[in-house]
Amino acid sequence: MTDYLFDGSGTPDPDVARLEQMLGRLRTTAPVQKVRLQPGATEIHDAHTISVYAGVRFLGPAMAAAAAIALMVGLTWRTTTPAASWDVAVIVGTPRIGSSPLIGGGRIAVGQTLTTDEGSRARMDVSDIGQVTIDEGTRLRLVETREGHHRLALERGTLHASITAPPGQFVVSTPSATATDLGCIYSLHVNDDGSGLLNVEVGWVAFEERGRESFVPAGASSRTDRVNGPGTPRFDDADEPFRRELELVDEGAGMKVYGDGLRYVLAHARTRDAMTLWHLIARVAPADRASVVDALAARVPMPVTVTREAVLRLDRAALDQWWDALGLDEATWWRKWKRPV
Amino acid sequence: MEHVLEIGRVLPAGDLLTIPARTAELTATIRAMAAGDQDAFARLYADYARMIHAILLGRVPRRDVDDLVQDVFLTAYTRIRELRDPAAFGGWIATIARNRATDYLRQAREHVELPDDLPGGEPIDAGTFVVLDIVRTLPEAYRDTLLMRLVEGMSGAEIAERSGLSPGSVRVNLHRGMKLLREKLGWHGHD
Repeated sequence: MTDYLFDGSGTPDPDVARLEQMLGRLRTTAPVQKVRLQPGATEIHDAHTISVYAGVRFLGPAMAAAAAIALMVGLTWRTTTPAASWDVAVIVGTPRIGSSPLIGGGRIAVGQTLTTDEGSRARMDVSDIGQVTIDEGTRLRLVETREGHHRLALERGTLHASITAPPGQFVVSTPSATATDLGCIYSLHVNDDGSGLLNVEVGWVAFEERGRESFVPAGASSRTDRVNGPGTPRFDDADEPFRRELELVDEGAGMKVYGDGLRYVLAHARTRDAMTLWHLIARVAPADRASVVDALAARVPMPVTVTREAVLRLDRAALDQWWDALGLDEATWWRKWKRPV
Repeated sequence: MEHVLEIGRVLPAGDLLTIPARTAELTATIRAMAAGDQDAFARLYADYARMIHAILLGRVPRRDVDDLVQDVFLTAYTRIRELRDPAAFGGWIATIARNRATDYLRQAREHVELPDDLPGGEPIDAGTFVVLDIVRTLPEAYRDTLLMRLVEGMSGAEIAERSGLSPGSVRVNLHRGMKLLREKLGWHGHD
């Protein structure tokens, strides 16, 4: 006897199949959790550092050895993790870690979420490499923390990061781009639709998604959205029409249709906006690339070692040499960071 | 009022042959977890997370379900010494989940309750949440079993193994729950 409802056998019941299709979207998507058990911790000082005492009735006295075990639930497990949780301090209001209200302070473990409502803010230590301040209306998750690698997922809201670590150690993923700290201070905002805005105050941030990269220097910003990924970075002191037209260029990037936006940007870019033009070389349609190269060359001459043909075919070495001529910082150090020899 | 089946223990003869092996394996896994074996914890999580997710989804706003699943496993870990019979792990952790949901709802009364469909994840149409709300009105045994089947994609046999119910009880809960759900949805299919 077949019973589709019980075991999926036989002819699908249309109502059951319809409910499977609808309700199946609610299925748990959380990855398999693993734990790190760390003998030696003895205090119960928050919900995630837990002591387990001897006396597991069916386990016998051997369990006494596990008298103190710090249990960390995470998306991944790394034996090298010095501490798979971070300190969190309340600035104002009552943020939540998981479903538990945070009073005064506590710790956030890998895999847990920190949520602030409209009346609360918090600050967390990023291991020992910096701090992140979380504004109102924010939800983020601690994805991973281990020696040399720390990752948050910002689902919505705003965070301000201040990191004093070598490039590449602190990463924040958002629904539409991933921000990799290159040693700096920056703010990152994510809207409810997954779009966002990165503002860099000090240093650099690499903003990436699906192979599209933006390298955002101090004093510059980059928008991002689910369709196009990281937008073309521009300095914050660019005038409003320039910024607006650049946004139009980014919005048309997927279809390579820019309208008058590209012409406006190329015509009105300042010398300082060479950084923006450099990013546009690889983003515009091939037919428009020459005009971008000309506009950039008019502001920052092409190095003598670089050929126009190499740039037009997006030769990485040629682009990097021209980037170095912009006077911002040499490309080699972040290339080295991305692809260590 | 609908009759809700009690937990049954009558199993088909075929299943009886494999029960000792499965029980021994579960016992070994729980012992290993309690002794600090991370992989053992991960195995238990992988085996039982969908059941716990379904139980919580039937009771609390979706947005908090993943966090509460973690809470449940953390609680289970710290209270593992209370579990006298490892074979009863499924029913035991399910009870922890139901109690955790009750605690959550008690606390939530003091706060503004978040709707299920908050932005931030993949978009889900409103009709799905309407159906979920109706499932949540079903008697507990039907609700939990249906959500394990329809949301988590667990088979009846798997639900039985994880929850400690007999396959017969799961089958009856599924069909009675489905019948009741059809009535509430105004669907007129057969069962």
